[in-house]
Amino acid sequence: MEKVLICFAAALAIGLSAIATAWAQSRIGAAGAGTIAERPEMTGTVIILLAIPETMVILGFVVATMILYQ
Amino acid sequence: MIVRMSKLEIAGPKELLLEVLEIIREEGIFHPEPKAGDFLGSERRRELHRLVPDEATTAERIFLENLRQVTCEVIAILPPLENGESRLQPLPLLEGFAAGAGEQLSFCRQQDERRALLLREREQLGEYAVLLETIGTLLWDGEPGSGLEFIAITLKDPSLAERLGEMLGRLTGGELCMSTARGRDGTLVGLIAAPPQHSARVRELLSDERLPEFPFPAELRNLPLPERLARIGARIDAVERELGGVTASMETFARQWLPLYRRVERWVVERLGLLSAAGVVQETGLCFVILGWGRSDAVPGLTRRLGERFGGTVAVEELRLMEQDLEMVPVTLVNPPYLRPFELFTRLLPLPRYTSWDPTPFIGFFFPLFFAMMLGDAGHGLVLATASLLILRRWREGALADGARIMLVSAGCAILFGLLFGEFFGEAGGEILGLEPLLPRRSRAVIPMLVFSLALGGFHVILGLLLGTITALRRRQPREAAGKAATIGLLLCLAALAAGLALPSPWLLARPILATAGALIPLLFLFGGLLAPLELLKHVGNVVSYARIMAIGLGSALLANAANQLAGLSGDLILGAVAAIVLHCVAIVLGAFAPAIHALRLHFVEFFSKFVEHGGREFRPLRK
Repeated sequence: MEKVLICFAAALAIGLSAIATAWAQSRIGAAGAGTIAERPEMTGTVIILLAIPETMVILGFVVATMILYQ
Repeated sequence: MIVRMSKLEIAGPKELLLEVLEIIREEGIFHPEPKAGDFLGSERRRELHRLVPDEATTAERIFLENLRQVTCEVIAILPPLENGESRLQPLPLLEGFAAGAGEQLSFCRQQDERRALLLREREQLGEYAVLLETIGTLLWDGEPGSGLEFIAITLKDPSLAERLGEMLGRLTGGELCMSTARGRDGTLVGLIAAPPQHSARVRELLSDERLPEFPFPAELRNLPLPERLARIGARIDAVERELGGVTASMETFARQWLPLYRRVERWVVERLGLLSAAGVVQETGLCFVILGWGRSDAVPGLTRRLGERFGGTVAVEELRLMEQDLEMVPVTLVNPPYLRPFELFTRLLPLPRYTSWDPTPFIGFFFPLFFAMMLGDAGHGLVLATASLLILRRWREGALADGARIMLVSAGCAILFGLLFGEFFGEAGGEILGLEPLLPRRSRAVIPMLVFSLALGGFHVILGLLLGTITALRRRQPREAAGKAATIGLLLCLAALAAGLALPSPWLLARPILATAGALIPLLFLFGGLLAPLELLKHVGNVVSYARIMAIGLGSALLANAANQLAGLSGDLILGAVAAIVLHCVAIVLGAFAPAIHALRLHFVEFFSKFVEHGGREFRPLRK
């Protein structure tokens, strides 16, 4: 039972942060697509901005790893 | 590297101004400063005022502007022959050239207008011919003398034909009919045969539906169909002949005159540029004064050249750079050949200030390292290196070539890390080749890789803060420098605590570390203000963000392993090979993009925010 709970906690840690990242990236992606349509020279900056919310899922992944490997 | 700039004042007799400007433009190292007020002290400012062009200069400028318009128009009209540029010096023959250019422009305009008319007529005649041919297929044998009136239209929308047929049927009680056919150019042509009493109403309906009757020229309107076609054919031949004559005449003119026009246009543009540059010059009663910034390494060359040419009548003085000038100094970046392609990434950011750092050397060193740690597969690196070499073979210059050079360096590092991790198209490939991993396997040693990534992150962030401290000292902001130094101290304490707690037998005692941290916290408040602890937390978050190196590296390794396992599950050699190639291609594409974007993000967000101050003025030298 304890193992199930540990796995569930790890799944929650990465799942919820992945949903949060997806939501943030959807908003930034939509705004970024509009920006690139008007100013194509901003493509590089928009790609970087799009990568910023991935911190959440990476931190979620780290937490999940620590839960599983504790 | 940010190029060192000198604050310059160039002065000389007014009559030498254009010659001096010519030399400055040829050297291309001088950025003029049009605002003397910000550049010089208030006393000097009163002595100088903006140079007002004299009557002769204004007249020359108007003359050259007019000449430029004429030459541009003639060049635009003439066919673009590849016959180069004349070697004649334009200045001695300029007046004669300008006198004749007006007449030549009129000739070119006439020829161009005639050519445009003929082209339009040829196009129209082609349309008539197609329409008449199509109508010919629609007319039935009893057409001559049937007493019906024929109305021809072209239909852009094929669905309109059926609707129009119904409307016409309702209008005339079914007494007329409409036939359609496609012309050889794809045009849908409709022919309405209507009794004379209905023709006016039909035309009205067509007008309401915005379907105008096809307009035939008046001279063709009353001719029988075969004669119309013959007339149109004859006219097309005549137009073709005349068009050939006009084109040949323009080509003859272009062969004779285009090289000279190109030479004169280039000379006029250069001369106008020179006269425009005079707009930033200041003057005293007798002298001109040019204020601005020059590249320090090139100033001696400029001084020597001006001295040789004018024998000491033109002076170049290097002024003392004051603290308030630092915001005005323009910035240009110059890097050695290895680092130059990495300016592609630097250009994504605004220019750094003159007192700040050029981010290019840092990104040139750390980007390939981070990329390689994330990709970390010798096989994938080999594919990317080959792709980069192929791109470089095709494109030698430009953003794509720079990107390929960066990818080549990064792929080289990825091959090295692949050998260290023992991965060649996944761990299975490394095992087949007998690669002994010198570092722990990424797919299994998650925690050691995480610790390594965080340690690297800690080093990177502390390096950034250290550079930020140096920047603050350079800008003579000791308070900010002390705040950053305290932050560095606290981050080192936190790292030592974490290391001490993680190790089985702590090599650092917690008490001295806590005491040092306790001493640093008040300093942090003192120099950094009340928000300094929040900043410290942000820096800790920045360090944790480097965990992505482990996370993406693990993902990359697992993806390659999954590709090998899925290929092995197929049970068939060919199918397995195809599956492995496809899956590894996906892994390589992901492996090229994700590490590149995340390595860039780590630089732009976590690293550069610590020490790079943006908002520098771009160095725009006067040049030809």
